[in-house]
Amino acid sequence: MTKMSIAEALRAAIRSEMRRDARVVCLGEDIGIPGGFGGAFTVTLGLSDEFGHERILDTPISEAAIAGMAIGAAACGLRPIADVQYGDFLFNMMDQLANQAAKLRYMSGGTLSVPMVMRAPIGATGRGSQHAQSLEAFFTHVPGLKVVAPSTAYDAKGLLTAAIRDDNPVLVFEHKLLYGSKGARTEKGALSPVGEVPEEDYIVPIGQGIVRRAGKDLTIVANLLMVYRALAAADKLAEQGIEAEVIDPRTLVPLDKALILESVRKTGRLLIVEEDNLTNGWGAEIAALMADEAFAWLDAPIKRLAAPDVPPPFAPVLEQNYVPSEAKIIATALAMC
Amino acid sequence: MAEMTLPAGTVPPAPSPMLTPPAGPLPERDGLLRLYREMLLIRQFEEIVNELYLQGKIPSTLHLYIGQEAVAAGVCGALQPADWVLSTHRPHGHALAKGVSPGGIMAELFGKATGTCKAKGGSMHVGDFTLGMFPAIAIVGGNLPLAAGAGYASKILKDGKVTAVFFGEGAVNEGAWHEGVNACAIWDLPVVLVCENNLYAASTPVSQAIKTATVAERAHGYGIPGLTIDGNDVLAVYQATREAAERARRGAGPTLIECLTYRQCGHSRSDPRTYRAKEEEAAWKLRDPIDTYGAWLRQTQPGAEAALAAIQTEVTATIQAAIEFAETSPLPDPASIYEDVFKE
Amino acid sequence: MPFEKPFDIVMPPLSQTSDTLILTAWLKKVGDPVIKGEALFEVETDKAVLTVEAPASGILQALLVEPGSEVAIKSTIGTIATTVGEAVPANGHAAPAAPPTRILASPRARGLAEKEGVPLAAIGQATGAGGLIVERDVRAYLAARRTAPPPPLVTGKTAAPPATPVARRMAEHAGLDLASVPAATPGAVIKRADVAAALQQQQTAEAAPATNMPPASASRRVPLSPTRLTIARRLQHNQQTAVPVTLTRDTDATELVALRERLLADLAGQDVRPTYTDFLVSIVARCLPRHPHFNATFDGEALEVFEAVHLGLAVDTERGLLVPVLRDVAHLGLTALAQARTALVKRTIAGTVTPSELAGGTFTLTNLGAQGVDAFTPLLNPPQVAILGIGRIRPVALPVGGVLAARQAMCLSLTFDHRAVDGAPAARLLSDIAGLIEHPERVWL
Repeated sequence: MTKMSIAEALRAAIRSEMRRDARVVCLGEDIGIPGGFGGAFTVTLGLSDEFGHERILDTPISEAAIAGMAIGAAACGLRPIADVQYGDFLFNMMDQLANQAAKLRYMSGGTLSVPMVMRAPIGATGRGSQHAQSLEAFFTHVPGLKVVAPSTAYDAKGLLTAAIRDDNPVLVFEHKLLYGSKGARTEKGALSPVGEVPEEDYIVPIGQGIVRRAGKDLTIVANLLMVYRALAAADKLAEQGIEAEVIDPRTLVPLDKALILESVRKTGRLLIVEEDNLTNGWGAEIAALMADEAFAWLDAPIKRLAAPDVPPPFAPVLEQNYVPSEAKIIATALAMC
Repeated sequence: MAEMTLPAGTVPPAPSPMLTPPAGPLPERDGLLRLYREMLLIRQFEEIVNELYLQGKIPSTLHLYIGQEAVAAGVCGALQPADWVLSTHRPHGHALAKGVSPGGIMAELFGKATGTCKAKGGSMHVGDFTLGMFPAIAIVGGNLPLAAGAGYASKILKDGKVTAVFFGEGAVNEGAWHEGVNACAIWDLPVVLVCENNLYAASTPVSQAIKTATVAERAHGYGIPGLTIDGNDVLAVYQATREAAERARRGAGPTLIECLTYRQCGHSRSDPRTYRAKEEEAAWKLRDPIDTYGAWLRQTQPGAEAALAAIQTEVTATIQAAIEFAETSPLPDPASIYEDVFKE
Repeated sequence: MPFEKPFDIVMPPLSQTSDTLILTAWLKKVGDPVIKGEALFEVETDKAVLTVEAPASGILQALLVEPGSEVAIKSTIGTIATTVGEAVPANGHAAPAAPPTRILASPRARGLAEKEGVPLAAIGQATGAGGLIVERDVRAYLAARRTAPPPPLVTGKTAAPPATPVARRMAEHAGLDLASVPAATPGAVIKRADVAAALQQQQTAEAAPATNMPPASASRRVPLSPTRLTIARRLQHNQQTAVPVTLTRDTDATELVALRERLLADLAGQDVRPTYTDFLVSIVARCLPRHPHFNATFDGEALEVFEAVHLGLAVDTERGLLVPVLRDVAHLGLTALAQARTALVKRTIAGTVTPSELAGGTFTLTNLGAQGVDAFTPLLNPPQVAILGIGRIRPVALPVGGVLAARQAMCLSLTFDHRAVDGAPAARLLSDIAGLIEHPERVWL
């Protein structure tokens, strides 16, 4: 066991898999440049020293090429891990992800598969609208793509390993404030959780959520940064006699529906806390699912706490009103109980 | 050929100073006859598919390859069986030339369970990955980054494969085309970029879409070689592809081959072609690739007449068998929509 | 116009054996407000007459099928105009003469209440957002029911009985509980003499030698069942809040008896046999619209007056007294009424009556005639304003045309809540009902 930040855990996963399987490669901007920073958030730092510049391929600013190459190479025998520097740039590769990666196997009648990973840092961090979006929902809606979001170091290594070993396209959403990147790439206001990570081989299965905190009065489903805010809110709620159960789904597609269902049947109340925009966010799907399958167990209407339906703003005071805060979680929970 | 006035901007059929003269070794006699057989198969397959469509047996529109056969036959003839091929929304010719089963293609067009894509793809996505052909990509330009990926995989795996990617002259203005070509160039990926310039992207003449006289000259912007050839001369196509594939295989990087050709049919089945001059169509018909190649074979190959007749018989039988296969194949089970989304 | 989107009412597939069902009755008419879940129409399958509930809330817009028609299952038989997006406000204030109040409760609370046999109307608190009864409210009710000691019997409204200061001091000195001292007359102020008398009695009892005490007789303790306890508590509560007054009136039911006999002869061979209850239901249903304040509920501050008449019938069952409701009886013919009543009572006795069938009454009828009772003091069925008790039909000698003749009499006992209505209007209602009993032909007027 070693204490690691999420960036370190991701790096450990990539390194381990690249050693284990010669077909694993990385493609992205600034990921292997000698003397560089190992990708915008240091995740690939040092990997090109060990694996060279063909398996750690620095690309031009060319998102469609990054995605398309990962897809084509995956079909032809490699297991590529591609990444965008900011999640917002996924829009630049939308055709490749949604029309090619997601559909190739289906269109081929099952004769090919696309075992690739696309990693994307998301979350509002004072950089303005085009470098701040949480965009899981754009991809949870595409049949043929899997979507995961690890929020701890243990999950980061385990989920990324599982994603690399999965024979299908997997989007891995990481939060900029959770990486724990150091040195010149330290994020202002970062949470940087550090956790124990086993050195040996393990995976966190795709499609398996986890209960971060057990409780009987209210189920809170949250991902990435919001998990931490929900846990902090849960502590404060406990002081007021409300025991919240906090669930981190870890995978959004395929969703661990059974875990959430069991919790909602127990507590009767569901609050979803998400950093993406409210309307048609990933929380809306969970709300609809639970309204359908947990209807008779509900003791209160299902609530979603999300960013409002506006582009992410810049100024700190505006951003703080955009990203759901601990105080808002507490207030919403109190009103529900 | 008679002098005629063609609409402004029309690229004359041939000869033209911009065309690179063909060079390099030609196939042996068997190979020469093989090229003819592929072209004839494509032509007659497309003609019959057109008729079947009019009879209501094919539940979708079609993008027919009639007139462009020399490109598919020449390129695929010059590749090795394990090489990768990526195609477009007009893929029937590429698929047949790559060796995809005519029965499988026909069944796919009919929407039957035995189709190349298990009836999940349709006309625009035919292919056979087990033979090296990706399911065709119907997003114009979208197959270029995929081709770069296939080339990159070959480089890492050192499997000696070459990737040939087909696209029309309309694709060269897509961002993805630019990104894909650039990627092939900067890493010297083993890719042959085959541009089928049939002068019209749907109804838009090429001169309206690019400012240069040829597509090939764009290659210089990427630092790779580019050449414009007579796309209706199957041997020219064969020779250019042979050379480009050799280059790619020895690690010297991609080549852009612009094949000037002409589709004798509309863009799709719902295209009455009123945007092209009848004179232009007639001029190109005189340069029909199968007619001209057949004539050349009769002139240069002894016993060609009998051989060509035998080929015709075989092609007729093959297509007939394909139709029967498609007609007798079962429809897919409606529940199969859930299959093959993910690999379990 | 707030109501926009038409919602189809569809004939549900209630039969295992048939593709068609007979719509026997619409329980509401076009223009009536309907609330999702309330009884809307009746359907006859090969096995039973079933009530089907409204699939949506809104205003009943169109009835496409006549009662008695055979209808294919899953076909549309009517439409409800629903508001787009918003449910019809369920608190009864939205439209005049809206059906009785819908109780807002979360699905979880409803499930628990149904499981525990708690009528939602009995739950006193609603602590969920928007006035929703939530799980903890049901649990609080259940806990109170389990642990609360029986309330002490109190005769007056005040907890401490009124007493003179002297009496109070006397009782205190003697260690006597004033509550156990009967006043000279019930409700009067306890005086010194009363306390003295009570003390005397106590001493006498204490002084008696043990040998004069009769031997303790064998007895057994029969605790009340939870349902019975609920009933007891509710009755207690009702008695303490309402001001019930009973008026009685004897009627000459001879004509009614004869009419019934003739009808029974006509109906011979058929399944249906209208009873006196059916006739009374029919008569009362026709009278009540003329006395609207009696076809109403009272919440302590305001009357809720209903257009339709939904009559509750007191039914004695193994589980105690239940009051299933016959809906919209004013529009039912006598045989339809008799059939509906038969089926409903049967279900009630069998225990298969649904909670929705036990709710929503606007007036109640209770018939103790079969038990030989004449006049009695029926208890109000809150929140209803009135209840009519029916006595037995008994032979009497009455002067008719100056000569004593053998007639049949039936006593009516009308209890009403004097907070909401007065005696004179009640007497007028009784008179109206009696009039129709004595001159049944007037039903046609």
